[in-house]
Amino acid sequence: MRSDRVGVLRLPYHYAPTTGGELMDLLIQIIFGLISALVIGAAMMVVTMRNVIHSALWLIASFFGVAALYLLMEAEFIAVVQVLVYVGAISILILFAIMLTRSNEGDRLFTTYWWTSGLIALGLFGAVLVPTLAGTIWNLPQPTGPAGAPEVLSGVEELGRGFVSEFVLHFEIAGVLLTVALIGAIVIAFEERSRRRRVLTLAEELELRKRQQASEHSAVAAADSVD
Amino acid sequence: MHDVINHLINTVFGLGWPGWAISLIAYLLIATILFMIVPFQMLFLTYFERRAIARMQDRVGPNRVGPEGIFQPVADGVKMFTKEDIVPDAADKWVHLIGPGIVVAPTMFMFAVLPWGPGMVPFDMNIGLLFFFAISSVSAVGLMASGWASNNKFALLGAMRAVAQMVSYEIPAVLSLLAIVLVTGSLSIVDLITFQSGLFISSSDVPGIPDFGLGWFVFTPVGFLAFIAFFIAALAEGERTPFDIPEADSEIVAGYMTEYSGMKFGLFYLAQYVLNFLLCAITAIIFFGGWQGPGVGWLYAQAITPANPAGNGLFNVLAGVLGVFYFLAKTYFFFFVMVWVRGAYARLRIDQLMDFGWKLLIPLTLVNVVSAAIWVGLTKWGAADGLAFVEGWAPLMRWAVAFVITLVMNLVAYFFLVRVYSQSQDERARLDDEVLERLTNVA
Repeated sequence: MRSDRVGVLRLPYHYAPTTGGELMDLLIQIIFGLISALVIGAAMMVVTMRNVIHSALWLIASFFGVAALYLLMEAEFIAVVQVLVYVGAISILILFAIMLTRSNEGDRLFTTYWWTSGLIALGLFGAVLVPTLAGTIWNLPQPTGPAGAPEVLSGVEELGRGFVSEFVLHFEIAGVLLTVALIGAIVIAFEERSRRRRVLTLAEELELRKRQQASEHSAVAAADSVD
Repeated sequence: MHDVINHLINTVFGLGWPGWAISLIAYLLIATILFMIVPFQMLFLTYFERRAIARMQDRVGPNRVGPEGIFQPVADGVKMFTKEDIVPDAADKWVHLIGPGIVVAPTMFMFAVLPWGPGMVPFDMNIGLLFFFAISSVSAVGLMASGWASNNKFALLGAMRAVAQMVSYEIPAVLSLLAIVLVTGSLSIVDLITFQSGLFISSSDVPGIPDFGLGWFVFTPVGFLAFIAFFIAALAEGERTPFDIPEADSEIVAGYMTEYSGMKFGLFYLAQYVLNFLLCAITAIIFFGGWQGPGVGWLYAQAITPANPAGNGLFNVLAGVLGVFYFLAKTYFFFFVMVWVRGAYARLRIDQLMDFGWKLLIPLTLVNVVSAAIWVGLTKWGAADGLAFVEGWAPLMRWAVAFVITLVMNLVAYFFLVRVYSQSQDERARLDDEVLERLTNVA
């Protein structure tokens, strides 16, 4: 919530006792390194894989790594939401989109001007990265232990308060936007039932045969009664 | 657990190990115990389901291996392990291999926040409930991966169906839990259970109610509607019978597990039964008090707890045993209900499944969230929150007014929505009929 926290890796000192604190630090550094390697490695695999589905699966692995990083920073709520939204919903959406659209596996869709798009992407990335690199204080003093009670960042409560007070407009705009998207999707995908072309199911064919027999039967009966 | 290990290592052996090492050992020990319990749950549940469904169908069921066939699951396990592991030539080898793993792993993660008895929870996360459902949605990725990697149209169809079903029934499940979270004001599963002490009325709503461990949410209108909606959604998430279209064997062989054999197939089986156990357990915990029951609260009050360090260790054991007994009794009862439903109902069609979820369950649970908000306002809020007129009422009065209002709201919503839903279904059948007539020119 507060800006002075952004970008600082807060180590979980709740569990660090007075003895063995350095070892705990080392352990956390190692875990942090491993998870970051996973995130970056998986992200690399996403863009280098030739099979789109493999890319999507690596993307999911990368999402997981990011959730683990959040967990390491004791941002439990953000970590769980990362898993719920990105792994549970977005990735499924991506997989569905890939599977339901035409596959162009193996095609390398390079035009002659591919390097311009590369330059644009690099420029945009640089525009984000350079100010961040320049503006970050790199030699942060290591926190040396629990200085008083650790500040509790109770994610859910503060986030909920923020949504209904400070950021209520952002929250509502996002809500309206999503609703519009939902209705739009329905309008695009809607197909009037009576206009739908379809094949008869087995049950319907049976029903049809029954009706035909019944109509023949009634026709015969009508003919009989006329006689 | 931490205290026990700490006592053993640092007091009895006098080794003086640091706290984090003790924590590590304690968590490793708990994880090991859970990993040993879980497969046995699965073995028992498969045996139980086969016997129970056999009784309902007027058969005997497995009764050859051991007394009353009790070792049948072990024999099945041996068979699974010795079977040849077949990977189709056209399959994507690696994705085919990791698919079952991604399906099983989340179910194991979910045990991390599941409380078994008073004070017996592996890890009391303050957002435990959210964690439980976030992790459960991960297995959809595994289903999708294994269905796609098999390179078989039945497997892919089954995976598509499974994922579509899981994604759409997650919404009513989470919405019905949201009502409960509103009432409790906490996302911790342990808090949810402690909230449910009392006698038909939660003692957190009305102070002074005797604690018989029966203040379950299911006794309130909000909780009852949420329970019905949640249990139906749980049936769909666990792919139990009225909603077992992802693996409908008369339509698409076995769905996403068509191309799996041996222990990989066994892993799917394990995941499914463990997930069913977990869904029954979470139903028992959220709506039926988990380990709450007559006597547990009293026993636990005498035990050694952070609030009462001078207690007697014997009561820890007694409260634990009784609590686990209540918890497992409720869980197995819900599993029996699942088997019962399987014996009683036919499989739904996919459009019926989607209609039921989106057009009936989601509106019902949405109304339920509103009545939960009314409940909280009437029982907990005061002048500070803008509800000055309830300030003067007695707690029991406030509870009764909230009960009546939410009951009326939920009943009206239920009858109205069911009416609209059945009308829309009739209309749909009529339209289908018209299309049929137009297509075939036969009236």
